[in-house]
Amino acid sequence: MSDHEPRVLGFLCNWCSYAGADLAGTSRIQYPPNIRIIRVPCSGRVDPLLVIKAFERGFDGVLVSGCHPGDCHYTQGNYYARRRLAILRDLLEFIGIEGDRFRVEWVSAAEGQRFARIVADFVMRLKELGPRR
Amino acid sequence: MKFISDKNLRKWLESLMGIGSLIAPMDLGPGLTLFSQIRDPGDVNLEYETTPIPPKDLFFPSSEALFRFSPSRGYEIPEIDGEAFLLGIRPCDALGIRLMDFPFLSEPADPRYERRRRRTTLIGLGCIKARPECFCTSFGIGPFDASNADAFLIPVKGGFLAEARTEKGAKALAAAELEEASIPIPKPPEVPSIDVGAVREVALSLFNSPYWERLADRCLSCKLCAYVCPSCYCFDIRDYPIRDGAERIRSWDSCQSPLFSRQASGYDPRQTKASRLRNRFYHKFSYFPGEFGAFGCTGCGRCVRYCPVNIDVREVLLAILRGEAKVA
Amino acid sequence: MEEIRAKAIELLRSGEVKCFIGYERASDGLTARPFFAYSADDAGRLIFDRTCAHNLARYLPDMRGQRVAILVKPCDSRSVNVLIQEGQVNREEVYVVGVVCDGVYKASWGQPSQELEARCLYCSRRVPVVYDHLIGQPPASEPQTPASIPEVEALERRSAKERWEFWRSHFARCIRCNACRQICPACYCPQCFSDQLDPLWTGIRIGLPQNWVWNVGRALHLAGRCADCGGCERACPMGIPLAALNRKLAGRVKELFGFEAGLDPRAPFPFATFKKEEVL
Repeated sequence: MSDHEPRVLGFLCNWCSYAGADLAGTSRIQYPPNIRIIRVPCSGRVDPLLVIKAFERGFDGVLVSGCHPGDCHYTQGNYYARRRLAILRDLLEFIGIEGDRFRVEWVSAAEGQRFARIVADFVMRLKELGPRR
Repeated sequence: MKFISDKNLRKWLESLMGIGSLIAPMDLGPGLTLFSQIRDPGDVNLEYETTPIPPKDLFFPSSEALFRFSPSRGYEIPEIDGEAFLLGIRPCDALGIRLMDFPFLSEPADPRYERRRRRTTLIGLGCIKARPECFCTSFGIGPFDASNADAFLIPVKGGFLAEARTEKGAKALAAAELEEASIPIPKPPEVPSIDVGAVREVALSLFNSPYWERLADRCLSCKLCAYVCPSCYCFDIRDYPIRDGAERIRSWDSCQSPLFSRQASGYDPRQTKASRLRNRFYHKFSYFPGEFGAFGCTGCGRCVRYCPVNIDVREVLLAILRGEAKVA
Repeated sequence: MEEIRAKAIELLRSGEVKCFIGYERASDGLTARPFFAYSADDAGRLIFDRTCAHNLARYLPDMRGQRVAILVKPCDSRSVNVLIQEGQVNREEVYVVGVVCDGVYKASWGQPSQELEARCLYCSRRVPVVYDHLIGQPPASEPQTPASIPEVEALERRSAKERWEFWRSHFARCIRCNACRQICPACYCPQCFSDQLDPLWTGIRIGLPQNWVWNVGRALHLAGRCADCGGCERACPMGIPLAALNRKLAGRVKELFGFEAGLDPRAPFPFATFKKEEVL
């Protein structure tokens, strides 16, 4: 494990995951400060190019988080996202960005604890992987 | 003519590398040779067939920052490296650099191009084999044409015949252990020639010929022909943000791209594939000679060899000359 | 060859099509290049052999609004279907002449070869998936071919770090001439993301990391849409093994979604549909 402090970019959907992150904050649950959050209307808004661009800019990890399948505010946005992001992960792996550097998680507005745990796990794993080349 | 043996070549290259950087053809993979900065003289390949990219990027890089500006550091112009030796440049590519001199060194000269040109010694290399796409003899040069190089090498058994053409070239050769040449200059390979003299006049009457539409049917409107061309020199300039400031980037561009001639209003005077393709040939064989008195082509044949759909400039020239492109 | 010419003459003479898109001999006298025949006279120049590697479906969107005939190999025929599926080509406007294919040679201009292109070694189709008229004798059964693609497997076996270095060194060489994009039947966007100014995905700069974004983005946009015609890789003057990216993703789209590009023009596109219960 290195003392490298990974930089993580998080795309969080407005309706579930962003509220979940907010809940983690208001509940004073501690999680690593390595994540920078961008609020998006829906995980379906996350163009895979945004993730590619984040890696180009040197982020060590990217998190996309949305409502649990079935709970999407727009009914289906996260189902589409799920397919797109699955193929993106395969592509990233193939060009040499370890699959563990890209996570897709479903976090509801009530899951502040879960959000904090996901970020903590993610940052720990990124520390194990070390800095990106 | 002097002679440099294969044995002494390595020593010579090492001493050149002590003076400046050495750029020479190097194998990078199966069937891929590129002009590269040399770290080990053993990597130099002077038997190379061709490189997809001519060495024009040594003077006119595919991308470069012209300057940077920021509140903290003010205005900065990136440095240009010191002396360089461009070894193994073929006569066609050396002509390409002379052709690029016309636009870039005409007043007001492009300072970055000029500095790079001044710092570089061109060490030419004769061709002992012609490729099927070669037609350099159409443009007043040939396989052993040394006129656009500072020094020139001709491969012979056991080494190279060497000749200095300019002071810079003499200085570069002075670093070599030369012997008096006992081998006669070999016979250069035959390179077919197209009598291009009349092209400019004839082409002017064919501007509205349907020939261009038909030729453009298979054109992809990619920029490959321009990027592999030793005399294509168009570029685009834009500013991009960097940390705490911005930089002005100049990158290769080409008239084959639909975005190239689009104006601020959104109007594009060359909207069709055919008009863009026609522009390529008119620029080389009509506008460029009108401006500078020389054809904008060196006969290297790279566009012939690399065009994915085989738009062959030689066929176009012959079609113009034979009147096949006449307006119906 | 004679059969193709005869069919072209018939279609052009009857006025059924304005143009027949096929192949003619290239200027090296050895390989082939795309050819647009407008008359029975032109049709005499048509050829077909194992040097006819181009995927002519690329030209169909250019010809919209006119009735044309096109010669397709099995791989190319899948691209025709992709274009129909995506609303870029009107099936009624295109007369598809399919040709039974045993693979094409790895030849390039001036450099003949009798070696099959790598993709033809594992291609399992000899007969086009869409045609109005078929030329050649279909085999009794489609051939058995290996399920895996050696070049993709070799890369998968390497470590992530090695793959990163591999692709970075290739993309560093990219000159962004856009030949890979312009030759691709699936790349018909009026404005490519790489030409966009806002958001600025790549900008005009040629070099890493912009080339990296371009090449990764290109591969991504072809997932589930690439028919593996190999055009991008053949066109690349810098020898970048682009098709390996497309093949990797085509394989995953098949594994994950059971979808292969261009087999059925009416099938929903895998990224425009979903299954609620799927686990990805």
